[in-house]
Amino acid sequence: MKLNPILNLHPLTKLYFSLFVTISVIIIPSYIFAFTWFPILLVIAIIAGVGKQYLDIVVKALVLLLGIVFIMQLFFYPGDQVIGEWWIFEATKEGLQYGLVLTSRVLAMGSAFILFFRITEIRDFVKALEDLGMPPMGAYIVLSTLQIIPEMRRQAHTIMEAQKTRGVETEGSLLIRAKAFIPILTPLILSSIASTEERAITLESRAFSAPTKKTSLHKLKRSNSDRTIPIVLLILMISLIIWRFFL
Amino acid sequence: MKRSFKDDFNMLAMLLIPIGVAVNLVGFQVANVLKLPIFLDTIGTILIGVVAGPWVALLAGLITNLINAIFNPIYLPYALTSIAIGLGAGYLSKFGMFKQIGKVIISGIIITFIAVIVSAPITVLVFGGATGNTSAIITATFLAAGQELWTAVFSSSFITEVADKVVSVLIVYFIVKSMSDRYLSKMNYGELYMKRKQR
Amino acid sequence: MKNIIEIKNMSYRYPVSDDFCLKNITFSIQKGAFTAIVGNNGAGKTTLCNAIRGFVPHFYKGELAGEVIVDGKQIVDYQLGQLGEKIGYVFQNPFSQISGVKDSVFNEVAYGLENLGVPVDEIIQKVEDVLKLVNIEHLRGKNPFELSGGQRQRVALAAIIVMDPDILVIDEPTSQLDPIGTEDIFDVIRLMKERGKTVLLVEHKMDLIAEYADNILVLHEGALVMQGPVREVFSDPKYATFNIQYPHVTEVALNLIDIGVPLKFIPIRNEELPKALKMEWEENND
Ligand SMILES: Nc1ncnc2c1ncn2[C@@H]1O[C@H](COP(=O)(O)OP(=O)(O)OP(=O)(O)O)[C@@H](O)[C@H]1O
Ligand SMILES: [Mg+2]
Repeated sequence: MKLNPILNLHPLTKLYFSLFVTISVIIIPSYIFAFTWFPILLVIAIIAGVGKQYLDIVVKALVLLLGIVFIMQLFFYPGDQVIGEWWIFEATKEGLQYGLVLTSRVLAMGSAFILFFRITEIRDFVKALEDLGMPPMGAYIVLSTLQIIPEMRRQAHTIMEAQKTRGVETEGSLLIRAKAFIPILTPLILSSIASTEERAITLESRAFSAPTKKTSLHKLKRSNSDRTIPIVLLILMISLIIWRFFL
Repeated sequence: MKRSFKDDFNMLAMLLIPIGVAVNLVGFQVANVLKLPIFLDTIGTILIGVVAGPWVALLAGLITNLINAIFNPIYLPYALTSIAIGLGAGYLSKFGMFKQIGKVIISGIIITFIAVIVSAPITVLVFGGATGNTSAIITATFLAAGQELWTAVFSSSFITEVADKVVSVLIVYFIVKSMSDRYLSKMNYGELYMKRKQR
Repeated sequence: MKNIIEIKNMSYRYPVSDDFCLKNITFSIQKGAFTAIVGNNGAGKTTLCNAIRGFVPHFYKGELAGEVIVDGKQIVDYQLGQLGEKIGYVFQNPFSQISGVKDSVFNEVAYGLENLGVPVDEIIQKVEDVLKLVNIEHLRGKNPFELSGGQRQRVALAAIIVMDPDILVIDEPTSQLDPIGTEDIFDVIRLMKERGKTVLLVEHKMDLIAEYADNILVLHEGALVMQGPVREVFSDPKYATFNIQYPHVTEVALNLIDIGVPLKFIPIRNEELPKALKMEWEENND
């Protein structure tokens, strides 16, 4: 069993936290506030033992995006206090301001979302949703999607290799490469569709649509923190709203 | 033929969704490996829409973006676009717009419009006008040329989407054509595309 | 004894084909009997299994004539979901026969019981028992996607018998298995019979049918051409006309008779050939 206090939290507790981060940066317009979230999230990731992969994904997914978003605002956001010039473009103070606000928000929301899936097993998350009343079909769809994707990637790879040895060109002019696409994808799709028939029979044979309430070997635990953290988050959220709009 | 959410859902429809999602992901990956200039990442959603109807495709689109978002949260807001594409493809199929190649191309253009109309506001409101993909450069060019932000985003995303969507619907058209009646007969909208009519 | 399955004048056509692939079939099966279904490829064995399990016509649609009665009730009056507990169905292709949502063999085998709403403690106990029974305890932690064909076949069988259905319909359960694995599976099936289950088995390995089954149904091009106790069917000259395999020993015996070696009776199990020869020999030397 994993003993990590963060990993051990209930998926919904982790979800509430990510939502809290997301909503807080919408309520509080300060970019300093929003930028502060990232180091906090990083510390949480490190405590949870997933610091490196977390940082990897954040860098891969968000850095380029943030750069572009920032530059776009800097140069194109309507404003007249020019603070710099580059070729035909003018950077404005308003642009700088809005660029920082927007990037800080995207960073906070994006990295909170990434963190959630770094510290939550999808299987646990789906179970939590099921416990909340998601129909078994929904759970089935998500879990089976996660199993099918690597399976189909592998098949696509196999087919591509086979096509290459059979002389189907996968390199060269655009037209040649485009032509290779269909014979790779079509057999994959047709065979997967053909397999649905037997999969349906399998599920029926395992009483998938039996008219009883299902049980589950997979049980999520709720600890004391799972009871207190959501309440703390809720109180913080209400305080933030009051502070922002009423004080 | 009147269909509702519930009619569209049966076990086979449910089993098609994971396949649609996987096809979206794998299509994108193969297009990448072949260095094609288009994404081809909605083939699964469109295919599901055509054979299983709008509601099933809606879910396929939604789940595709949710799963992509796990590694790249930019996809999250664009889930709305995928949903709209799924719904669009489903309704176009229902009204016979995937039966002849001419109509299919028109469907591709309609789906492009749907995608652009839904994604442009997301690009502007959530990301301030550009995300990290190729259309950002086109948007910047339009902006530099003095266009309004909204027009720039709309036109640049139309330009990057149209080829992708038209090619995608054509691929879907050929795939549906090569599906055997045995499987088509069990799908919600399969009868529309069967070679022999059911007795 | 009570007939648990009764089929009367049943014909069936798949929705997309023009011909009936089951033609006017009539038979009944007694509770607790072990019946083998044999026939060449495309004869309609799988379709017949589907008809008994209710997938024909509930799932495959198409046109069904005649009656299929399971446990006193017409199959068309059952709901698809209800039959799961009554009839366990292990079908032909082991590769598509996994739930697709479980990450270990143990959970895979437990899946049916979860769906039936069995309490967790009971599930764990039953799954443990079945893993032992089918001899797949060593696979318990493995991902079902990473199993070989033969291993999947065992898991598929385990996943069904754990649900403890009264009737077992099993379609070619040993196609991917080596001889030892095949013997294992037949041992399990025999045990099921001892526990009072009614077993229907499609199988091409006639030696094993001769050893274990009570009755045979012979399908040929969609028609039920012969039925009866195993020994009667294999010794009937009519059986030879359908070009279906014999048990090896029967094949040898028939060759012996052909070249003029007389036999007292037609053996269907290996140990019977010497006996048949000996009886004939003793009679001649009396
Ligand atoms: N889903 C289907 N739709 C249309 N035709 C089918 C379908 N399944 C089977 N058939 C046809 O029905 C006939 C009987 O097939 P079935 O699978 O029952 O044979 P089988 O005796 O089980 O053969 P095998 O030994 O190869 O498993 C065949 O001609 C086959 O092509
Ligand atoms: Mg068969």
